[in-house]
Amino acid sequence: MHATRRPRAAITWSFVVAFAAAVSALGTSAQDRAVEYAVKATFLYKFAAFVEWPAGAFTSAADPLVICVAGNDGVTALVDDAALGQTVDGHALVVTHLAPGARMPRCHILYVAETARPAMAALVDSVAGAPVLTVVDGSAAAGSAVINFVLQGNRVRFDIDLKAAQRNRLAVSSKLLALAAAVRQ
Amino acid sequence: MDGAPTLPARTRTRRGLRPTFTTAVAALGVTLLVIAGIVMVAYNERAYREGKVQQADAQARILASTVAAALVFDDREAAREYVNALAVDDAIQVAAVYDARGSLFASYTRAGHVAPAGVHDSAAAFGDDQLAVTIPVVQGTRIGTVYLQTLVAPLVRRLERYGAITLLVLMAALLFVLLGASQRRLATANDRLERQGEDLATTNERLRAQIAQREEAEMALRQAQKMEAIGQLTGGIAHDFNNLLQVILGNLQALQRRRIEDGDETRRMILAATRGAERAASLTQRLLAFSRRQPLNPRPLDINRLVTSMSELLHRTLGEAVRIETVLASDVWRVDADANQLENALLNLAVNARDAMPRGGKLTIETANASLDQAYADTHDARPGQYVMLAVSDTGTGMPREVIAKAFEPFFTTKDAGKGSGLGLSQVYGFIRQSGGHARIYSEPGDGTTVKLYLPRLDGAADGHEAIAQPGALAHAPTDHHVLVVEDDHDVRAHTVAMLRELGYAVVDAADGNSALQALDARPAIGLLFTDVGLPGGMNGRQLADEARRRRPDLRVLFTTGYARNAIVHQGRLDPGVELITKPFTYDELAAKLHAMLR
Repeated sequence: MHATRRPRAAITWSFVVAFAAAVSALGTSAQDRAVEYAVKATFLYKFAAFVEWPAGAFTSAADPLVICVAGNDGVTALVDDAALGQTVDGHALVVTHLAPGARMPRCHILYVAETARPAMAALVDSVAGAPVLTVVDGSAAAGSAVINFVLQGNRVRFDIDLKAAQRNRLAVSSKLLALAAAVRQ
Repeated sequence: MDGAPTLPARTRTRRGLRPTFTTAVAALGVTLLVIAGIVMVAYNERAYREGKVQQADAQARILASTVAAALVFDDREAAREYVNALAVDDAIQVAAVYDARGSLFASYTRAGHVAPAGVHDSAAAFGDDQLAVTIPVVQGTRIGTVYLQTLVAPLVRRLERYGAITLLVLMAALLFVLLGASQRRLATANDRLERQGEDLATTNERLRAQIAQREEAEMALRQAQKMEAIGQLTGGIAHDFNNLLQVILGNLQALQRRRIEDGDETRRMILAATRGAERAASLTQRLLAFSRRQPLNPRPLDINRLVTSMSELLHRTLGEAVRIETVLASDVWRVDADANQLENALLNLAVNARDAMPRGGKLTIETANASLDQAYADTHDARPGQYVMLAVSDTGTGMPREVIAKAFEPFFTTKDAGKGSGLGLSQVYGFIRQSGGHARIYSEPGDGTTVKLYLPRLDGAADGHEAIAQPGALAHAPTDHHVLVVEDDHDVRAHTVAMLRELGYAVVDAADGNSALQALDARPAIGLLFTDVGLPGGMNGRQLADEARRRRPDLRVLFTTGYARNAIVHQGRLDPGVELITKPFTYDELAAKLHAMLR
């Protein structure tokens, strides 16, 4: 089987998504938002299984996988719970919340919440070239992040920016690419 | 040499094993073929299953790999897309994805099939016409399970495919069986042929032996016929000569008895003529002996005693240069033979032996009991039975085969002209044959010669005084007996009549049988019939004698003849009451015979 990647469909979808996002932004209930945040929080560490970090990203096999979260939204609040007790390829998960303006620690995954918007692009750019899987929420501000959460109907999906991944020396599994709503070369 | 031909024994072990061997090979071949067929079918089935399992396994693994992300991110839609993509493969009936808890996540089912509600990890499961595989989905950890069910060719269909192989195997097996059967039949036929060949060879050999035997017998018969013919010829001549000699001798003797005044000269001439005539008479006697027409006077006889009694004579005859050895069996049977003739024969053989040993040597005389069997008799013109053998062997020059073949023929001699009459061996032969015996010469040129005489064993208790003829004392004849002389030859008759009258008998004579019978009836005083055996006018001497004795049972009969016809001599014996005097007879001989008969 080939991985299903349909750019044209993706373009078509993007209109639908834009439209649906607008609708859902207006009409989604608070409960729906809670589920959405939980899913996104889960996704955040689940991406790790489909991404390969370059050698040196971990000093040893026992090194924890560090998830840094910046900003404050529904996702950041749930990340700790979602990652609790989970491991990815033998690495324990450590969640680090970044204070605004603080110095960027060593991260494997960096999630920038929508609330951190003003500094969002800068934060993402600050780790450009470093082996960090950058994840943002909200396509508008995607910028140069590797993964960008999008909503399709009520479903949480994501776009992948392969250029950004390459820049950060990350290998993204084709399985993940196949599942992405859109892949930017 | 005459023994049954022996065939070379042939081994038959190889033949007996062959059919069994072939059958075993055929059975083994069929078994191997069937096993090979089963193995091939099993192998094919296994390969087919493995191939199918591999194929399904690969498909399931691809699905598991692609669906992993969908499972992780709980994207049922994507998972459904993946499983639906399998619809392009017509064989796939069910493709299903289960999450880590084992509940159905996404599935594709072809019409008429249902995805199982839950799955367990298990090996590939073959149904009759389907194959189910379950593959775990692993992405770091176990995150779910993929279940794939594909259509496989039904077992029946598969077996049909294997049918081709089965058919091939069966045909091969059949071929094997046929081959085995035909091979076996061939072997049997071969066997039979071989046996027939052997039988044929045996028959052939037997036939050849029979042919050889027959040829030998025919040769013996031809020889016998030749001897018979020569015998007839010499016998006839000798008979006529005897008559002539009888006349000559008789007249010479008559002349001698007369007082001739003309002096010694005439007497000497008469004596010379008599000696010549006597020698001629002895010659014809020997001819008659060969032609088996000499009258014999067989008596029970001990050959050993005869040989012993002759030893002095033999020594004198053979001279100092020849050593004589006698090997006499102690218990030889008695024979019925004419002692004088046998002495003659032995002397003849001894002389021959001496002549074959010009520089001296050894003469062996041997006696033994012997039996001649049917096979020997058939090929050597003899009669089977018990015999006493008298063998005379020398250490002389021997003789080649062609000489042996002719040695018994009269006038055949290897001696220089004038030294041998050629009648010695033929006389022996004639005497032995007439006595019911058999003679045979064995010789190797350079080694010497053995002549074997076989005389029939005297059977029964027929005993009597052994007579080595005693010369009868001359006695003067009584005069009260009339003698009837019957002789067709006028001269002989006249001479005989004169001799009888001189002996003092009253004589009546006749020229043939009928006039003889008339004379007999007319003269009761006739006490003795003196007749020639051969008479003209349809009645021979024997018939005349029979008729005369029928009329006058007390009548004595004296035959005279040059040779003894079967009419008188049966098996070499004379009937009782009948005597015979051989021409030419002397005055003295006739006087003795008549005296003995009319005593």
